[in-house]
Amino acid sequence: MNERVTDPSQNPGTAPILEIENLSISFFTRKGEIPAVMDFSCTVMPGEAMGIVGESGCGKSTVSLGVMRDLSNIGRIVGGRIKFQGRDMGDMSDEELRQIRGNKIAMIYQEPMASLNPAMKVGQQLMEVPLIHDKVSKDEAYKRALEMVRAVRLPDPERMMRSFPHQLSGGQQQRIVIAMALLSKPALLLLDEPTTALDVTVEAGIVELVKGLGKQFGTSMLFVSHNLGLILETCDKITVMYSGEAVETGRIEDVFDRMRHPYTQGLFRSIPLPGADKNERPLVAIPGQLPLPHERPKGCNFGPRCHHFVEGVCNAAEIPMIEVEGHEGHFSRCVRFNEIDWAALPKGAEKKHEPVKPGAPVLKIDNLKKYYTVSGNEIFGGAEARVVKANESISFEARESETVAIVGESGCGKSTLAKVLLGLETASSGDVVLGNTPIQSTAIEKREVDTISSIQMVFQNPFDTLNPSHSIGSQIIRTLEKFGIGKTVADREKRMFELLDLVKLPRAFAVRKPRQLSGGQKQRIGVARAFAGAAKVVVADEPVSALDVSVQAAVTELLMEIQRKNKTTMLFISHDLSVVRYIADRVVVMYLGHIVEQGSTDQIFAPPYHPYTEALLSAIPIADTSVVKKHIVLEGDIPSAMNPPPGCPFQTRCRYKRLVPDNLCETKLPPLKDLGAGHRSLCWLDDAQLAAMEPVISFDRGVNVPVSDVVPTDEPHGEGAGTGPGFAGAPPQRPHGKTSDADAESEMERIERAPPPPHGSREITGNPGDSSPDKLQTEVGDGRQAVSGEVTPGLGKTRQSEVDGNEPNRS
Amino acid sequence: MPTETIGALAIIIGVIGRFWPVWIALAIVLTLSFTFRGRLGLYGQLFESGVGVAGVTICFFWLFTAMFAHVIAPFDPLTQVAVMKDAMPGTVVPDQGLVYYFGGDKLARDVFSRMIFGSRIVLIIAPAATAFALMVGTTLGLPAGYYGGKIDALLSFLANLVLAFPVILLFYLLVTPGIVETGLPHWIARVFFIVPIIFFGTLFFTRYKNRPQLLAVQMALIVILGGWVYLGLAFDADPLGIISIDPNQLNIFVAVVFASSPGVFRIVRGLTMDIKTRDYVAAAQTRGESPWYIMLWEILPNARGPLIVDACLRIGYTTILLGTLGYFGLGLAPESPDWGTAIKDASRLLRSFIHPALPPVVALMTFVLGLNLLADALREQSLKD
Repeated sequence: MNERVTDPSQNPGTAPILEIENLSISFFTRKGEIPAVMDFSCTVMPGEAMGIVGESGCGKSTVSLGVMRDLSNIGRIVGGRIKFQGRDMGDMSDEELRQIRGNKIAMIYQEPMASLNPAMKVGQQLMEVPLIHDKVSKDEAYKRALEMVRAVRLPDPERMMRSFPHQLSGGQQQRIVIAMALLSKPALLLLDEPTTALDVTVEAGIVELVKGLGKQFGTSMLFVSHNLGLILETCDKITVMYSGEAVETGRIEDVFDRMRHPYTQGLFRSIPLPGADKNERPLVAIPGQLPLPHERPKGCNFGPRCHHFVEGVCNAAEIPMIEVEGHEGHFSRCVRFNEIDWAALPKGAEKKHEPVKPGAPVLKIDNLKKYYTVSGNEIFGGAEARVVKANESISFEARESETVAIVGESGCGKSTLAKVLLGLETASSGDVVLGNTPIQSTAIEKREVDTISSIQMVFQNPFDTLNPSHSIGSQIIRTLEKFGIGKTVADREKRMFELLDLVKLPRAFAVRKPRQLSGGQKQRIGVARAFAGAAKVVVADEPVSALDVSVQAAVTELLMEIQRKNKTTMLFISHDLSVVRYIADRVVVMYLGHIVEQGSTDQIFAPPYHPYTEALLSAIPIADTSVVKKHIVLEGDIPSAMNPPPGCPFQTRCRYKRLVPDNLCETKLPPLKDLGAGHRSLCWLDDAQLAAMEPVISFDRGVNVPVSDVVPTDEPHGEGAGTGPGFAGAPPQRPHGKTSDADAESEMERIERAPPPPHGSREITGNPGDSSPDKLQTEVGDGRQAVSGEVTPGLGKTRQSEVDGNEPNRS
Repeated sequence: MPTETIGALAIIIGVIGRFWPVWIALAIVLTLSFTFRGRLGLYGQLFESGVGVAGVTICFFWLFTAMFAHVIAPFDPLTQVAVMKDAMPGTVVPDQGLVYYFGGDKLARDVFSRMIFGSRIVLIIAPAATAFALMVGTTLGLPAGYYGGKIDALLSFLANLVLAFPVILLFYLLVTPGIVETGLPHWIARVFFIVPIIFFGTLFFTRYKNRPQLLAVQMALIVILGGWVYLGLAFDADPLGIISIDPNQLNIFVAVVFASSPGVFRIVRGLTMDIKTRDYVAAAQTRGESPWYIMLWEILPNARGPLIVDACLRIGYTTILLGTLGYFGLGLAPESPDWGTAIKDASRLLRSFIHPALPPVVALMTFVLGLNLLADALREQSLKD
């Protein structure tokens, strides 16, 4: 019933490495058969990378396990075929499959430590691969292993070979896992969320490595991820999955710029791409939630959540993959994609908000320090005490109704800061003033009820934030009781129902247990609880990072809506700069306990940067084909807070270090340099060097335009220039649904209007550090901009009025 | 000498017949449980696996046997019928027409009736002692795990001391007349028995502090009921004269609680250390909850899964421990029908007569097996969710 996605014209004469035809996989549990994957087809050519993207529970990992034929005892392939190098894997014996696994097909999982044997040295584990699969001598195996450790760019390979896995950092472990997978020279590499457990700057390094694999080793890849940006950076083709089915598949450019399935479009609308703005162009969440596997609707699985749903058309029969005309190898599982107006916004999504005016400072933090003493045994003494400097001289202010983002990777001290603010820890020195009350040394037990209820927290992990033993209602009522809200039980119950209304959950949820709720719903309860006592300050610790993309947008919007209504100050802790740019008014960047840079969102996202901010910005995968990013990959890992480097905390990984005279970086802590208008940076670089910095993210100027004509419309330091905060180069004024044909048109128009350029955004200048070996400067999107040119211009014209500057939306 | 006996088949039919109240009760309870298993939570899920059904059935079998012991047993466990000394199984008692199904022991008592009545002692002491051990272990394990540091080091050290002490020697010491005379077991009992009152008091106080009326009622109930039971058990001074405990049984009780609390302590401590890192505990802290509220209402309910499994296994160990104590002749009165004492009595003549030893052995074995099966099934089911 389903056409296979093949593309014989592209690689004439080459046979595909992997062909999956109408694959269906079911799990057989005590509740009966649960179909996990239905009618899934894809083809991977030699050296090609196929990305599979989708939300949790969509079956993307099951596909990769199905390819490995590793479906535990309850999973079974119930239909379709998987052909590997032309042979049907269903016909192979167990012996043959064993030969293939780990030899011709290798797999890399999310958790590197789970893939390594903790009792064996890294070298031995690596040597095992050639010893077993190629039956080579020990010396030869050692040689090959060492070579591979070098190839995955690990420092000091000999030492690495002698280490145990636990002695390496997460990023190094994942590199070893990749090295192990590559040692057998596999024809196909399966990567299942290989970087999800890693920090962004470490992730960037792994992505850089993975990207080159296809070229270097001729390996094909099946890259499973929930992150569209990562897929864009690493893959050639993409398959979007939803509820067990592939809903859209095609080349990256086609799917990203001219998606022909409403779910794909919904995904793109719910992630904060550059150009989204919390006031002007808020995110559009996909309504509803993923259907349970045994409650899938008839016809289109996405039907109940789709705003293009038509009764009798979408739910009439099961929908096959339909080829999109004019796009090579582009298929969509939507019957209406030719009728849908891809630029139209769903109803009610055109909401705009007045920018919030921040009021008086609510929270003042001055020179806050938090040191921990780590000692040995409590009774018998033992090892000498060591000091962990979790926070070093933290100073910033947060004003009423303002969102201050605290950005940093794991171990930067942002969670410790939150603990001090909430009173779970007391400060070692310095001041924290909430309203007019100093709270730095008042532990939570000694705080007044008012103080407690006016600074509250939203936690990161939705599956952990609610006590699984108590009902939702009783947990909220308990909070109200603690905050002294309501005199009687009935009062509190009423207030509890109001809070459920506030976070847009049905009142019936009051009697439910947390396990009956989805992740997003749990997080809403977490929000309700934080706002239960009219909190003045809410600390949100990565509140959406554990949620699925479509749910993230809804929770983010909810959080901002309540904040707007209550004039709450929000401290938004995150490592994801895309979300931060979207949600925050001001940003504080932390590294190893220090604030390395702070300023308004515009200031942080435009040069001059702190070198660390620059690397962080460059590390974030952005799911936008028109974005051009400078790639800066940091060497090494974050040093331990137990043993911080002398001088500047960032000096061990900084690529600007050699520009500073007298070895200052390694000896003296840099001053907090004021760059004007509250923008401060902890760096030794002088003004000239800072001014020479280039924007990390800029917009590809689109079609057939000479580079020199490319024009950013706002000043590099632009404040209030009306465009997206702080990006050099104007964000393309594309409508919410990115229709590239229309894009191209509007792009052209604006370029003609634009003033001459101060600098070309695609030009690679003699940037200091260019020659430095630890910097890899590449431009994502190279060769991709041409795609837009292929589109027949006729379509674009008809929708010009809507596209041009979003006029209809603004009225 | 009586000569009239019945055959093996008749014995089996007769024994099955004597258990009639148990069969009826089992049929009713199991049918109801199976029918409504969807609404019974974890207990209902037990009926989804063969192991679970077997475990539940065996445990219920012994529970109902203990409840209906008077109806099932044809004889009083202490009555001696002189002619029946060492009688073979199936011997008919002259003049009465009743049968010693499993024969008579060396004191001419009915082995079958003694086994039935023995279940009463085992099924009262073992679960009760386990419950107290759980309470004591939990009350100490929670703060050790939650606060860590010095409190943890001290309590863990004490627990290790008790664990390192040979259990049998400990029991010998506790029931030695010299030690009993010093009143030490009584004092330990007074400490142990006050723990549940403190436990429940803290439990309700932390939760309903802000609702004084409700709290007053609860506190009054705890003090009156708990105090009443406490006076009866610990001081044998129940004003109403209803609650009392045999001094021998008290010794056994204290010894068993003392020996198994450290095990519970370790489990609770470990679970607490794990659960206290969860976000909901941090959420409770950030809204200003007291440490004991967090321990009792946020942490303890989420530790219940492993604790229930452990409790099942622990009742089994305690049953075996009671058997061991009975075997050494410690604690309970020499004529007590409990299984351990019965095995000891029978073991002396094992070479000549094996039949008095077998019924208590099989009883002990099946009960412990049933509890282990139940624990297995509970563990499996709680992992599935």
